[in-house]
Amino acid sequence: MTTSLADHLRTLPDESLAALLQLRPDLVVPVPADVSALAVRAQSRVSVARALDGLDQFTLQILDAARLTRDPDDGTTSTEAVLAMATAGPRPPAPATIRGAVHKLRALFLLYGPEHALRVVDGVDEVAPYPAGLGRPATELDARTAALCADPAKLRRTLLAAPPSARAILDRLAAGPPVGSVPPGALQAPPLGAEDSVPPDPTNGGAPTGSPVRWLVDSRLLVAVSAGTVELPREVGLLLRRDSGPLGPLRTSPPPVAAVAREAKAVDSAGAGQTMEVVRHTEALLELLSAEPAPVLRSGGIGVRDLRRLAKALALDEATTALLLEVAYAAGLAGELELSGATTTRYGADQQVLPSGGYEVWRAMSLARRWEQLARAWLLMTRQVGLVGQRDDRDRPIGALSPEAERAGAPAARRAVLAVLADLEPAVAPTPEEVLELLDWRAPRRSRGREAAHREALVEAARLGVTGLGALTSYGRLLLADVAEADERGGDDPLGLRADAEDASTAVRALDGLLPAPVDHFLVQADLTVVVPGPPDPALAGELEVVAEHESAGGASVHRVTTASVRRALDAGYSADDLHDLFRRRSRTPVPQGLTYLVDDVARKHGGLRVGSAGGYVRSDDEALLAEVLADRRLEALAFRRLAPTVLVTPYQVNRMLLALRDAGYAPVPEDASGAAVLSRPRTRRAPGRAPVGRTVDPLASPKLALPRLLGVVEQIRRGEAAARAARRAPAVVRGTAARTGPAPAHGHSDALAVLQQAVRDKALVWVGYVDAHGATASRLVRPVSIGAGYLRAEDERTEMLHTFALHRITAAVLEGS
Amino acid sequence: MSGGPLIVQSDKTLLLEIDHPDAQSCRMAIAPFAELERSPEHVHTYRLTPLGLWNARAAGHDAEAVVDALLKYSRYPVPHALLVDVAETMDRYGRLQLANDPAHGLVLRALDRLVLIEVAKSKKLAGMLGAKLDDDTIAVHPSERGRLKQALLKLGWPAEDLAGYVDGEAHPIELAEGGKDGGKPFTLRSYQREAVEAFWAGGSGVVVLPCGAGKTLVGAAAMAEAKATTLILVTNTVAGRQWKRELIARTSLTEEEIGEYSGERKEIRPVTIATYQVLTSRRGGAFTHLDLFGARDWGLVVYDEVHLLPAPIFRFTADLQARRRLGLTATLVREDGREGDVFSLIGPKRYDAPWKDIEQQGWIAPAQCTEVRVTLTDAERMSYATAEAEERYRMAATARTKLPVVRALVDRHPDEQVLVIGGYIDQLHQLGEYLDAPIVQGSTTNKERERLFDAFRSGEVRTLVISKVGNFSIDLPEAAVAIQVSGTFGSRQEEAQRLGRVLRPKADGRQAHFYTVVSRDTIDTEYAAHRQRFLAEQGYAYTIVDADDVLGPPLPSVD
Repeated sequence: MTTSLADHLRTLPDESLAALLQLRPDLVVPVPADVSALAVRAQSRVSVARALDGLDQFTLQILDAARLTRDPDDGTTSTEAVLAMATAGPRPPAPATIRGAVHKLRALFLLYGPEHALRVVDGVDEVAPYPAGLGRPATELDARTAALCADPAKLRRTLLAAPPSARAILDRLAAGPPVGSVPPGALQAPPLGAEDSVPPDPTNGGAPTGSPVRWLVDSRLLVAVSAGTVELPREVGLLLRRDSGPLGPLRTSPPPVAAVAREAKAVDSAGAGQTMEVVRHTEALLELLSAEPAPVLRSGGIGVRDLRRLAKALALDEATTALLLEVAYAAGLAGELELSGATTTRYGADQQVLPSGGYEVWRAMSLARRWEQLARAWLLMTRQVGLVGQRDDRDRPIGALSPEAERAGAPAARRAVLAVLADLEPAVAPTPEEVLELLDWRAPRRSRGREAAHREALVEAARLGVTGLGALTSYGRLLLADVAEADERGGDDPLGLRADAEDASTAVRALDGLLPAPVDHFLVQADLTVVVPGPPDPALAGELEVVAEHESAGGASVHRVTTASVRRALDAGYSADDLHDLFRRRSRTPVPQGLTYLVDDVARKHGGLRVGSAGGYVRSDDEALLAEVLADRRLEALAFRRLAPTVLVTPYQVNRMLLALRDAGYAPVPEDASGAAVLSRPRTRRAPGRAPVGRTVDPLASPKLALPRLLGVVEQIRRGEAAARAARRAPAVVRGTAARTGPAPAHGHSDALAVLQQAVRDKALVWVGYVDAHGATASRLVRPVSIGAGYLRAEDERTEMLHTFALHRITAAVLEGS
Repeated sequence: MSGGPLIVQSDKTLLLEIDHPDAQSCRMAIAPFAELERSPEHVHTYRLTPLGLWNARAAGHDAEAVVDALLKYSRYPVPHALLVDVAETMDRYGRLQLANDPAHGLVLRALDRLVLIEVAKSKKLAGMLGAKLDDDTIAVHPSERGRLKQALLKLGWPAEDLAGYVDGEAHPIELAEGGKDGGKPFTLRSYQREAVEAFWAGGSGVVVLPCGAGKTLVGAAAMAEAKATTLILVTNTVAGRQWKRELIARTSLTEEEIGEYSGERKEIRPVTIATYQVLTSRRGGAFTHLDLFGARDWGLVVYDEVHLLPAPIFRFTADLQARRRLGLTATLVREDGREGDVFSLIGPKRYDAPWKDIEQQGWIAPAQCTEVRVTLTDAERMSYATAEAEERYRMAATARTKLPVVRALVDRHPDEQVLVIGGYIDQLHQLGEYLDAPIVQGSTTNKERERLFDAFRSGEVRTLVISKVGNFSIDLPEAAVAIQVSGTFGSRQEEAQRLGRVLRPKADGRQAHFYTVVSRDTIDTEYAAHRQRFLAEQGYAYTIVDADDVLGPPLPSVD
């Protein structure tokens, strides 16, 4: 059959081949060597799966129809047969629609051959084993079932006899997939009618009666295909589907959306409001990170505690904070910094997340551009933020920015969801359920199992202001178009040379039109609040940051001038006049008198205390004397400064000043911290004290020894002597060298045991030769105490210790003196 | 961008630019659901709170209308998240209802069964709920009505109270608008009428009106509406007598119908005026005068100066949820932060008017607020600098340097009635001697007080020195100048109440003057700034002058 697809492909003109390659671009990676290689690849499981993934529900159903109508002998079908099957159910779709679907399948070469002899490529059966959710024909499953199916009347009777619980199972399997699993033991059942004699079945909850599944298997309506799996034969399935048609309910067009259409302006306005929030919160988030960077955990990502801290400071929930953090990271606004060397934090981390250099550039951009950068990053980032805060396979929490939240399919999910919204009329706001249904129709194979990701994408789109009031915003639509266009252009402009970063994209221009223009003035009120009625321009924002406390943000911002904020401004180098001027210049309303007074009051007190450091001071009650010191040219090097008529300070240390002053003929007295005079009597230096030499001993007088000491000495000498004798006398058999050259060790070992046992009884001294833990041979004179459990316990009289020898290590034993 | 007057902030504050042509209509649109927080001269601040949104729901506004109003008047795009939040918050109201069941009495009924299950499990409601009648209904003891509502509010599932109010013992009360016993005829002012209507439609609640704007009359009108026996709770005996005088003059009530329940007299009559003090007095740890609440079948309970309501009264009030409750105040600012309890137990704010609006309508006297800064003498500065932290405010506030300044201020208004208000008795005595004026303080007997106040009203006494006792509820309509020399630290409501002493409209529409004398460069200045915050937020701009300008011989104009 492979050859036949290859043959078929060979007969095609170049344009048709090119059309195939365009529809299935994966076939040319790498470029196939010849047509048969192309044919093999086009039928391969992977390529077919890819082609099927892109198909909508209806086309897939038509493909199923083609598969079901294949002639069992030569495997061909025809358009007519497909038409017949597809229109068999109630409310049959128009034949033209079906033909269109067949045409599409043929263009993809999932079906090929002439209309009267269509073939299905091989890979399809591998990729989707159960066409239209129907099982295999009964003949392939079980002979007795086949016999039942061959008799339609009997089959129908059996079906009608099915008890309701069994019928429910059948209906579920008939809707597809046709395979079900059953608990182990449910099928190991007695024949019908013999339930009473069955002992209780613990795996079935103790009930001995037959389960509905067992009834079905016994009645041949289900076939047990393997342990714990049953399959519904195709014939039974078709019979059960007689109400809905053999392919199940057919839907030729996407499910309709019952959603209300919002006002386009309201949608854009809500979305634009949200974009302002997103940009503002992202900036605040990054500022927080800049003030206190979040440490990176060993396992990657940042910890729950840090995320909580950020969320709390931003007054957002953790999910939104995680989203903003991930988006900012993806947009290149935040990055990790290696901490150098030993500066590990209390988390043991050596990396921190903090704003990157790109953040500075971003901050200087217009609001709409800043948002666009974030939104683009969100569209393209391979992160599924919804996983943050959930637990991974090992039941550990998944942190923001951690590798566990990486999902390659995330961008595709987002694009799919947004594409659904983009295909609707503008400002139509479908419910999440409707969006999921639409996705399920458009590409059932792709959206299955991704519902969670799709829902998340919808929530994130709303949070980022891509959608407003549930509908795609106008600028969101433009952004999608921009990204799609960039994708297409990406093909012939791989280096992005043509991407003109200078020009604002259409999305940015559209959003710009919706966002408030920056303002350069504010309103000052008597309660000392400063209201900026719109987003402040950067210069104004910078000034306000210094002179006022931030109170409320949003479309406008409210600040409050306080004593502390004015002091901060003065510290930052503003003078009172500068501040008055600033308020006069920027305020649209008369500056309240209270504010003027506040500024003057704080300015008057500002700097009332002066703080500095000095190396030393000179003070004197005699002002004239101090004046003289100050004027003395010889003391110029000390750089005296007069703090008060009676105090001079110098940056130099006290000792140097003292010397210089004395050299110049003055008579200064140093003071300590409490102001007491420090006396300068010269101090003599001394080494640490030593004990004198003790009582001298007459070297000529002989020492006197007391009797006990003498006796002790004698005993010590005797012992030494005994030890020396013993060492000398260790018999050759016992000494290692002799043993190795001597008779067989096994012989020596059993002899040794006998000797030792005798010695235990006689309490005699024995020379024991043994191999120590390091493999060296050694010998010891001991008095055995006991033998047992493979060990010899013996006393060594010389060292007065109890030794334990492993018997198997003992090589020889000789009674002392023998 | 609609260019509207409203800016919606993400912290749920709404900024209303009042110079905008649409400002007035915008104010009308947002007033039902947003709380007015500040009303300085250019930009008023409203806040969206769950409570405010729920009150709006209770009054029949739905989330759609709120969102529409925000979108209509907003100058800038409104964040989607905020709109969602508003809708979700409002959706929580009324899932539970308190209703009267014909068979079981008061019941908590759920329109959303899951919510009922959730709250029934909550520990905070333990003991408040009775037997489960069916899946959607739980019996509630009538005495727990107030506490249950309060607890449900804290859980975020406010109940709609459909159980209604008892009418109480009927008693005929009419407003004597035609004038009584030769008195002058009068009519309720428009805002008073609106306040009474808003209160009556809501059933219970708080009316906020500036001092001098005629809150007593609002109370009287509410009584006339209720036509039932009424319990009036006031701060002190003098205020109680003022209420009595006012009620006799303005309503059909006669002296015999009004009882005084105070430390001196214990009368219970169809209309009874009781002081907070006597209600909260205890003997042996027990409140001895609680029977008053049950003494009659009260149809209406009026709380005067509700911002001062002592904590025990809150507890008694929880038991009075079936009776109509009216709270009156000029400044719903509690230094203890218990505004939430006022809302849930007495009722939500039913009427509020910015002071400046009422001033513009001419119902309260226009006032000029001036802060006079005196410079301490070097000796005073030195003793201030070395004083203990807790002594500093007293040192700064009672500086002798203030005395000549006060005299200069008094002399500046030779034809006016002047009140000198202070917090420290020693200082007041000094002032009394220095100015040769009588003193009213805590230890002054009620009789003496009445005499002095009467003398002041008649113009016999031109200058009166009063202590903290004069903060509230003294009706001295002729006082046109108040000079504050010291106060209770940074109390915002005290400042506002003291200003209120001079706000009663003057016969000839004269301007009122409020001076506060503070010591420069001391903690006194800081407290003064804090005290002025409420008034500044109400749009009163203080002018600051130097004491030397006051003392100096030729007085330049300070305007």
